[in-house]
Amino acid sequence: MTGLAAAGAGPELSVDLLIIGAGPTGLYGAYYAGFRGMSVAVADALPAVGGQIAALYPEKLIYDVAGFPAVRGQDLVDRLAEQAWRWNPTYLLGHGVTRLDETGESIVATTDAGARITAGAVLVCGGIGNFIPRELPVGSEYLDRGLRYFVPRLHELAGQDVVVVGGGDSALDWALSLESLASSVTLVHRRTRFRAHERSVEQVHASSVRVLTPYEVEKISGDGTVSEIVVASSDGDRITLPAQSVVAALGFIADLGPIEQWGLELRRRRILVDRTMRTNRERVFAAGDISDFDGKVSLISIGFGEAALAVNHIAALLDPACSVTPGHSSDA
Amino acid sequence: MKGNKLVPYVITQACVDVMDKSCMEECPADCIYEGDRMLYIQPDECVECGRCEPVCPQISIFHHEDLPEESKGFERINAEFFTLGTDPLGSPGGARKVGRVGHDHPEVGA
Ligand SMILES: Cc1cc2nc3c(=O)[nH]c(=O)nc-3n(C[C@H](O)[C@H](O)[C@H](O)COP(=O)(O)OP(=O)(O)OC[C@H]3O[C@@H](n4cnc5c(N)ncnc54)[C@H](O)[C@@H]3O)c2cc1C
Ligand code: SF4
Ligand code: SF4
Repeated sequence: MTGLAAAGAGPELSVDLLIIGAGPTGLYGAYYAGFRGMSVAVADALPAVGGQIAALYPEKLIYDVAGFPAVRGQDLVDRLAEQAWRWNPTYLLGHGVTRLDETGESIVATTDAGARITAGAVLVCGGIGNFIPRELPVGSEYLDRGLRYFVPRLHELAGQDVVVVGGGDSALDWALSLESLASSVTLVHRRTRFRAHERSVEQVHASSVRVLTPYEVEKISGDGTVSEIVVASSDGDRITLPAQSVVAALGFIADLGPIEQWGLELRRRRILVDRTMRTNRERVFAAGDISDFDGKVSLISIGFGEAALAVNHIAALLDPACSVTPGHSSDA
Repeated sequence: MKGNKLVPYVITQACVDVMDKSCMEECPADCIYEGDRMLYIQPDECVECGRCEPVCPQISIFHHEDLPEESKGFERINAEFFTLGTDPLGSPGGARKVGRVGHDHPEVGA
């Protein structure tokens, strides 16, 4: 995953355009807004850019993006991030936007990680919603006290006994990358089969990672922070493992979440926009899978077009001296 | 929406009275809803990612293009489950919030 950290972005920020969602639409929008001379912040609830592509199918080949006869999902995301990078957008990753408040001349957005962004306009590229990690059924009270859903900085777990829960690619990747750092790594999955690349499965079995399948987490305990985890198999076998960290990698669920509370007109759980991608709210536009209009089709290529259309209209809104028509990027 | 279909992925007869729910655990759109005796896929919420299909131990889930002849009716049944009745479920935007619906499409409950 392209780990563009939120580092440097303070809790208070002022930009011309805030883009909500760093999927393909939001990333292309960030490039385009930079090209139109705007300062840009991009917020995403996930710790990495790429939206559905990065979260759901980074290894699949995509055949219908213009200019790429075939492109691996993550490669497309990397290229989009590289293209946007030219204008130095500020990334707020791990920031779910919860509120959008109007102040007349601007909009103030608040994130669940405590950032406040004042923006001349907002482009909602929220896709099918916020990706939130699927919760472990037990032990949620230990969240951030030993229980975690992401490991952005592996070295934080150095020397610890780590239990990774899950059977997909990210569970296996984390188990493998922590193997050399952690004091011990145990991988717990509730089914016998892993749903991950065969090569990773082979690597895990060949490594020092202890694999427990089919086992489920029954209990997490510890005084304040995690110190122990109990896992149980369906036939009642129980194992108690010492653990200072439990990494729950159970995949993601997309949830429209806060977007529904922003007073935006919705149709079939999508935001209604006009021909300029404007919503019913002043200074708020929408593009990509989250937008709806008659004839809408949800595809990456269409999201690109919508992002460019929205940003050109936003340019004219923010500076009436600006034309909607951008001129040609090749002339720049 | 992708393609010209009622339901991208369809749950069929083999789920009835089994409801192992592996599919629910996999679905990133949280669009697989629990009726009484079987589960149903909400067509507007499904993003056609295909994750549910291989995890079903009953081999009950099919892409609508691969539906076996005898299961064709379930495409309509999955779609209608959300639209039928006096207080249709519609598109609630997440099965976790809704929980167990507790009734089935009339052709299934029978
Ligand atoms: C398996 C699969 C295969 C596909 N194959 C293709 C294909 O071959 N070709 C094609 O064109 N399309 C394909 N698609 C569809 C394509 O992935 C989507 O159309 C595309 O990802 C939409 O991009 P987006 O940027 O609009 O939204 P998304 O990619 O959904 O990104 C939205 C981002 O917004 C973030 N977000 C949402 N709400 C908030 C909030 N409140 N605060 C902060 N962040 C928020 C989310 O975390 C997410 O990262 C496929 C989809 C799937 C699932
Ligand atoms: S995994 Fe198969 S049997 Fe289990 S609930 Fe889903 S469709 Fe039904
Ligand atoms: S195809 Fe994907 S989104 Fe659709 S029901 Fe299956 S798991 Fe859910």
